[in-house]
Amino acid sequence: MEQRPKPPISGVIYGEFAFWFAIIGMVIGTIGAIWYLMGGPHVMDPQVFLSHLLQGDTAEEIWQATTGHPITYGHWYLHKISFSDAFALLGVGICCLAAVVGMWGAFIGMLFSAEEKARRMYTLYLFLILIMAIILTLSAIGVISLHH
Amino acid sequence: MDKKRRILKLGFLILALLVSIATLYAAETSPQVTQVTEQTVGMSPLTFFIILLVVTTLMGIFAVLAGVGGGVIFTPIMMGFTPIDSYIIRTTGLFVAMSGALVAARPFLKRGITNVRILFMAAVPYGVFCIIGALLAGYIHATMGVTGEALVRGTLGIIVIAIGLLFVFAGGRAEWPEVKEVDGFTEKMALDMGYWEDSLNKVVDYKVTRAWLGIILFCGVGLISGMFGLGAGWAMVPVFNLVMLAPLKVAATCSKVLISIGDTAAIWPYIAGGGMFALFAVPCMIGLIGGTLIGARIMLKIKAGFVRWLIIVIMFFAGIRLLMKAAKMLHWM
Repeated sequence: MEQRPKPPISGVIYGEFAFWFAIIGMVIGTIGAIWYLMGGPHVMDPQVFLSHLLQGDTAEEIWQATTGHPITYGHWYLHKISFSDAFALLGVGICCLAAVVGMWGAFIGMLFSAEEKARRMYTLYLFLILIMAIILTLSAIGVISLHH
Repeated sequence: MDKKRRILKLGFLILALLVSIATLYAAETSPQVTQVTEQTVGMSPLTFFIILLVVTTLMGIFAVLAGVGGGVIFTPIMMGFTPIDSYIIRTTGLFVAMSGALVAARPFLKRGITNVRILFMAAVPYGVFCIIGALLAGYIHATMGVTGEALVRGTLGIIVIAIGLLFVFAGGRAEWPEVKEVDGFTEKMALDMGYWEDSLNKVVDYKVTRAWLGIILFCGVGLISGMFGLGAGWAMVPVFNLVMLAPLKVAATCSKVLISIGDTAAIWPYIAGGGMFALFAVPCMIGLIGGTLIGARIMLKIKAGFVRWLIIVIMFFAGIRLLMKAAKMLHWM
């Protein structure tokens, strides 16, 4: 009877981190959205937001109408966690962070895996994971962005 | 028999296109359209949340039954049939495609079906071009105004119709394609691997080929995905399976995991640009993921061939509607 091949540890670590971060983010996002709908403190008034969203207004116009000021670029919700909509967006942010953490986990996993080290072109793949982890990190911290 | 099938497909296609154009033209010119838009503005946030939840759940169910990702139907339908700004829809479209892929990735990687080497090789070009696409979308949105919006909707309309055509005509995927010759570049990349195939109760060892062509194609797929906020499984699976000749199961799982990586790279510029709103993103996320899970359960019990055709018709509808909206914005209609 053939034996099942062992899955590469880098992939397993990526999958675990990505899954659990996404689940945690989704739960926080859902709690935040329910809090928002129940009339919790908010940055953007939900009724005004909805009315402008369904009128086809742009993100800039929605921000202006709901908050009274132009778009706050970057991770504004981190500074307003006590507000329900910002809390919901924190959940969205954690969900989006899942692959970033997963990719660093995959890098560390591959770095210390004897099985993966034994395979051809190990260094190339380690390098590719590192590049991707750096790109994702730069994107997440806002270095790669377009502030129009 | 094959010729008869092709004629049938073509006939169905022409009929779907004609019906779509006629219905949409009638709807577009009807004075009731503006009344409906005005009525929806008075909706309460809770009602909006519930409606969105139900609609996206249905989208998730139908998408799974039709064998496509939820992300690929979410963006065109929302852009074609709601007045919501395209930048906000694309931000949310990327988010829902990414979050669905993040949840789905785990079992594939745990069971070793996903080839991590192919995955990491494709992730760099796909991710980089996803970011370029997202930045380009932001640039068009910021500098080109209504013309930019029309350009985005029109191009997406063409892409969606092309995807519909791909679903109609490109049915010939191979479960285990035979690799007769591996080129030098692919050989050097050491992409060959094996996975446990439950249906055969044995290990399937496989090789792939034309990795260089795959890398080039992933640049284009990434650009489209990042720019239009689409999940890209519809393009990735054929690249892995038909171009690189990876087994279908490996192709499908690699595509799912790759979406989770590439779309993450592209989503952050959209979030930092202020395009993500909790009241719109959260119900879409819950609905599409919930719908996908329900759809997967239903799929085990029913034969759902007709759903695939239903999705194709919806895609034609959405594509034509997007083209008409673009033409209207440019005052061509």
